[in-house]
Amino acid sequence: MNKDIAIKVCAGTGGVASGGEEVLSAFRNSISSAGLEATIYEKCSAHRVGCRGFCAKDVLVDVIINGEKTTYKHIKPDMVARIFDEHIMKGNPVTEWIVGEAYFNFHNKQTKVVLSHCGEIDPEDINAYIAVGGYKAAKKAFASMSPEEIVDVVKSSNLRGRGGAGFPTGIKWELGLRIESDIKYVICNGDEGDPGAFMDRSVMEGDPHAVIEGMIICAKATGSHHGYIYVRAEYPLAVKRLQMAIDQCKQSGFLGNNIFGTDFGFDLKIFQGAGAFVCGEATALMRSIEGKRGMPTPKLWRSAEKGLWDKPTVLNNVETFANIPRIIMNGANWYRNLGTDRSGGTKVFSLSGKVKNTGLIEVPLGVTLRDIIFDIGGGIEGEKSFKALQTGGPSGGCIPAEFLDTEVDYESLAQVGSIMGSGGMVVLDETSCMVNTAKFFLEFTQAESCGKCTPCRIGTKRMLEILERITSGNGKEGDIELLEELGHHIRATSLCGLGMTAPNPVLSTLRYFRNEYESHIRDKKCPAAVCKDLITYSVLEEICNGCGACKRACPADAVRGKRKSPHRIDPEICIKCGTCFDACKFKAIIKI
Amino acid sequence: MEKLVELQIDGKEVNAPLGMNLIDAAELAGIHIPHLCYLKGMRGFGACRLCLVEVEGMKDPVIGCNTKVKEGMVVQTQTERVRDIRRFVLDLILAIHPLDCLTCTKAGVCNLQQYAYEYELKDTSFTRKKMGYPIDQLNPFIRRDPLYCILCGRCIRVCKEQGTKVLDFIGRGINAEIGTAYNKPLRESGCTFCGSCIDACPVNALPEADRWRKGREWEYIKTKSACLFCGSGCDILISTKDNSIQKINTGAEPGSAKKYICAYGRFGYDFIDSEKRIAAPLKRLNGELKETTWKDALNIVAAKLKEAGGNTGFMSVAGMLNEDALTLKRFAKNVVKTKHFDTTMSLYSDVRSLKDSHSSLITTSDLIVLVGLNPSQWNRILPALNASIRKRVHRGGKLIVINSDIDASETRIQEVATVSLEGDEIPILKGIAKALIEKGEKADIQLKSAVSDAEISKDIEMAAKLILEAKNPLIFTSPSLFEASANISLIKGKVIAVGLESNARGMAQIGLTTEGKTYKEMASDGMKALYVIGEVPLVKRPDTDFLVVQNSHLTELAEQADIVLPATTFYESDGTILDYLGRFKKVSKVIEPLGASKNHRDIFITLSKILKSPMKKPTEAEIEKALKGKPKITFRPFVRKTGFDISPKEFIEAINASVLKSRRLSWLLELKSSRAVAA
Ligand SMILES: Cc1cc2nc3c(=O)[nH]c(=O)nc-3n(C[C@H](O)[C@H](O)[C@H](O)COP(=O)(O)O)c2cc1C
Ligand code: SF4
Ligand code: SF4
Ligand code: SF4
Ligand code: FES
Repeated sequence: MNKDIAIKVCAGTGGVASGGEEVLSAFRNSISSAGLEATIYEKCSAHRVGCRGFCAKDVLVDVIINGEKTTYKHIKPDMVARIFDEHIMKGNPVTEWIVGEAYFNFHNKQTKVVLSHCGEIDPEDINAYIAVGGYKAAKKAFASMSPEEIVDVVKSSNLRGRGGAGFPTGIKWELGLRIESDIKYVICNGDEGDPGAFMDRSVMEGDPHAVIEGMIICAKATGSHHGYIYVRAEYPLAVKRLQMAIDQCKQSGFLGNNIFGTDFGFDLKIFQGAGAFVCGEATALMRSIEGKRGMPTPKLWRSAEKGLWDKPTVLNNVETFANIPRIIMNGANWYRNLGTDRSGGTKVFSLSGKVKNTGLIEVPLGVTLRDIIFDIGGGIEGEKSFKALQTGGPSGGCIPAEFLDTEVDYESLAQVGSIMGSGGMVVLDETSCMVNTAKFFLEFTQAESCGKCTPCRIGTKRMLEILERITSGNGKEGDIELLEELGHHIRATSLCGLGMTAPNPVLSTLRYFRNEYESHIRDKKCPAAVCKDLITYSVLEEICNGCGACKRACPADAVRGKRKSPHRIDPEICIKCGTCFDACKFKAIIKI
Repeated sequence: MEKLVELQIDGKEVNAPLGMNLIDAAELAGIHIPHLCYLKGMRGFGACRLCLVEVEGMKDPVIGCNTKVKEGMVVQTQTERVRDIRRFVLDLILAIHPLDCLTCTKAGVCNLQQYAYEYELKDTSFTRKKMGYPIDQLNPFIRRDPLYCILCGRCIRVCKEQGTKVLDFIGRGINAEIGTAYNKPLRESGCTFCGSCIDACPVNALPEADRWRKGREWEYIKTKSACLFCGSGCDILISTKDNSIQKINTGAEPGSAKKYICAYGRFGYDFIDSEKRIAAPLKRLNGELKETTWKDALNIVAAKLKEAGGNTGFMSVAGMLNEDALTLKRFAKNVVKTKHFDTTMSLYSDVRSLKDSHSSLITTSDLIVLVGLNPSQWNRILPALNASIRKRVHRGGKLIVINSDIDASETRIQEVATVSLEGDEIPILKGIAKALIEKGEKADIQLKSAVSDAEISKDIEMAAKLILEAKNPLIFTSPSLFEASANISLIKGKVIAVGLESNARGMAQIGLTTEGKTYKEMASDGMKALYVIGEVPLVKRPDTDFLVVQNSHLTELAEQADIVLPATTFYESDGTILDYLGRFKKVSKVIEPLGASKNHRDIFITLSKILKSPMKKPTEAEIEKALKGKPKITFRPFVRKTGFDISPKEFIEAINASVLKSRRLSWLLELKSSRAVAA
């Protein structure tokens, strides 16, 4: 009996945090100790694989026996023995741990281009990448394509920058190619500072070679011999894997002097950023590599003309680069046809919030928001109703239900008042307060403002103060108009994208959910019952059976009442922590 | 000529040089585009957002500080839209800026005040907020009050550009502020207290420490002059009120970062009325110096000079005005009839090197070569040369440093060099000359054969390449290496020997250079009478029968003199100098002489009258004629001249000993030595 066994353990950051390494070594131990008795496991190997995009279910483990794959979720080290015994030894999968339908729905409705290797190959092994066709594209570019040809393919693929602004990548490269200079740079932007975003991290951790290959092709296309990958220092695993990949490339002759046996050299380095959000902005990022404070500088020239150290520079996002090898191999038409007329290909999003399935997803541009939320995401969690989709991270906006049939691309999202951004998607349901949501994002941007230009530095703080006043019940007539005025001015006058987009969450919620602002200001009520200062907790005496759970739970001793008779909350003492609300099994406590 | 482009600003036709930004172009047409963060002479920074203007064909307003003129551009600077934006920006700034213009030091010259007035903002429409930052006033020079700061970043940029790099932005968002490393007080940072940041700040965040209640800006009389404390001879702007100096700034136009002065030049003026200032002539009576009248003192001096005649020695500093120098020379030669007159210049330079130096400007040179010179802001050895070169490099110029003593120099200038050549300067210069010739540059036979044995390293090759590529290379050399350096300029570029005193070149041109004994010889050879003018670096009375010291302060040497004549400082006397770059500069009398002090030339003229061969003040034409002269550079052997081995730092400190003893600068020297101990 000769079984071909492969075990794959999720080792992305989510996986590692949930104990991926321990699970991995538990499998290793089982295999090696079993290996003493028989030789049937000789082909068995335990890979580390990158993020599989189903974060809620970590640690994920694939057990593949003779090509038949079974995926387990929530695996802990002490569960390994049972999988080993029952499934690997006896051939009976442990059914109660197997992922359910949701997992398959989640994956089957997606189109994986950038994420196709993540979770499938060992990111620490260049041979694994080569085995799935890696570096063929770069070799092709070096062996048989002129820089102009490469640029043409990228141009006609309709690939647009995945870092947020959606600038056509081919045109950027063309500018880079046309400018003459003794030194040119290629930079990969792996700063990824949006709160909760981890698309680029997953690619850097799960498929680092694809990013590097994309950069090598870019170097060839633009005649550049120096490159940097800018990664935030908070991504140590990405740094480690990229560094391993760079070292392996150098050994294989894919980086360094004379790459692929030609006389073309490309030297690639990693630069670890301090991790400020604004450092993801192209000019701030370049200043940071130059050793200066990461502050945006006004653009007098395009970076393609004067970028890093005033030399022509092509700067692209991680995902943008990771698309390149596929485009070169499969052709511009294939990629273009995946997407819409205006933007080709797929986009990775991180889906989070109040949906059933959360995690990284990759969809062709042009799918509707409804498909994303209800098919891939499995719909809203619990019995709640959808309220809005926040896209684009702190620079983005909230899209209400009436636009759920919007087809995702740069222009259509902008049309409904939001942006694609780097791909954050947060689903909000009826329990989300839109004023509070806007405040949350503005808190982030105003704290991350580099402080250089007046509108962003002082203006966002002024907006935040107004929002704080509204959510704490001190809103005044005229506040909404003031917010709008501030927002429009800040948008029009800020130096960089951070300031220009910082008012978006406020302006878009004002556009669609103005009534919520009005309730906060006029009625001093938070319709979603989120804003602490505007809600009161009280006991429905008809329902309360006097079990006393709330009384025991309350940290402020605000609940009064005798056992077996209805309780009451003293509003003077209540600190609105909501503990009693959660503690009551009979839903006798309400917040309004 | 620069290429001009034609554009329209607010309906006016403007011809502006290619590459100019809109703020400067508008100014050509007399139109002011409001701005707070832009500093003339530097790249636009884009922080304040006040300079937004509308350009036809552009959807959104653009910033004037960073948008360059284009042919046919149509610009509007006063549309309702941009005025609205400016009002908004100012409104935001006022939300966190104190509104105490009533007592604010900067009132009248504060740019924020000016714009608030123009845009009719009495107060902010937002909630006012106090940031509660502490004030740094732990030094006698600069008061740093972050409460007023509008974060324009000007101070940071001037400090960075000149190479001191003390300040930076710290913090984020609304909590962003300007600070030093670890936000220590300036005293504990690497600050040299040059005060460049004072000149850069548009508001009241960085005034002089003693500036408050020293008078309103509009009460001041502002006079351009030059500083005579060291060989840089910087342009300064002196503010006076009621016959007293209130403050000194750089001589650059306000709101520009074009010039630099050091702490001596800016704060050293306290020495005018320090304890050691002499207000009346002194004569030695029973071993003690006692006040006397001018008449008495000068009669004694005249008698002694007459007696000593050709055995009289005149020793002076070279930081002396041309008018004084020419009068002194005539007095010595024609009245006292002695050949022995010399200046401190002879301690660090020969005459020829200075006379044969070219005239040029740092700002127009695209390549600077620094040979055997150690300018340092930290040690205040030609600090302005250090700062100006760094500025030039920052703005795109290249720098070659050739120095045999880089480590000892502490100059740190090589950190910004494109090529730094460490080692004996002579073979390096020969190598460069040879490399230039090998690259096809013309040279005469003598020069060719002189460098035939030179070695060319990779760096020398690189330096030669830079010289070849440059349009206006400019070599600054220590005088001892002038000939060797000048040989390069025979092939390409200009060459300037840099002296340590403000008017060394003037001395050389005027010829206040000995025809008999040198300065050093007079100090040791036992002259019958010695007449010392200015603060010469002597602390022990030379062997002489009669010593006159003519100076503003009672120096250690003066205390040992027979007669002390009170002279004016350069703030109390009109005149001119010829600076190291060959520029003729005016020095202005901004206050009346203290007590009975007189300027040098008047003293000599009075003496000449007593001695019965009366002289006149030199006329402007005479001065001009005396300063004329063309450099004559011919091939000279590649050798280092000897005898000029004084320590520049000790020398500059010695000739400014009285200045450095003033209240504030003595604090600085103490700080410096304590920093050195700490390091
Ligand atoms: C405040 C701010 C933060 C940004 N952060 C990122 C980032 O983390 N990653 C990124 O790729 N682009 C970021 N960008 C966009 C970059 O400026 C730039 O447009 C992009 O990296 C270009 O690459 P692309 O054309 O491939 O999208 C940011 C922009 C702004 C204004
Ligand atoms: S918009 Fe904000 S982040 Fe961007 S430069 Fe201005 S202050 Fe800095
Ligand atoms: S005084 Fe001079 S060195 Fe000190 S902070 Fe200001 S500019 Fe910098
Ligand atoms: S201290 Fe003055 S010059 Fe410096 S940033 Fe503040 S306002 Fe500008
Ligand atoms: S002067 Fe242009 S932004 Fe400040």
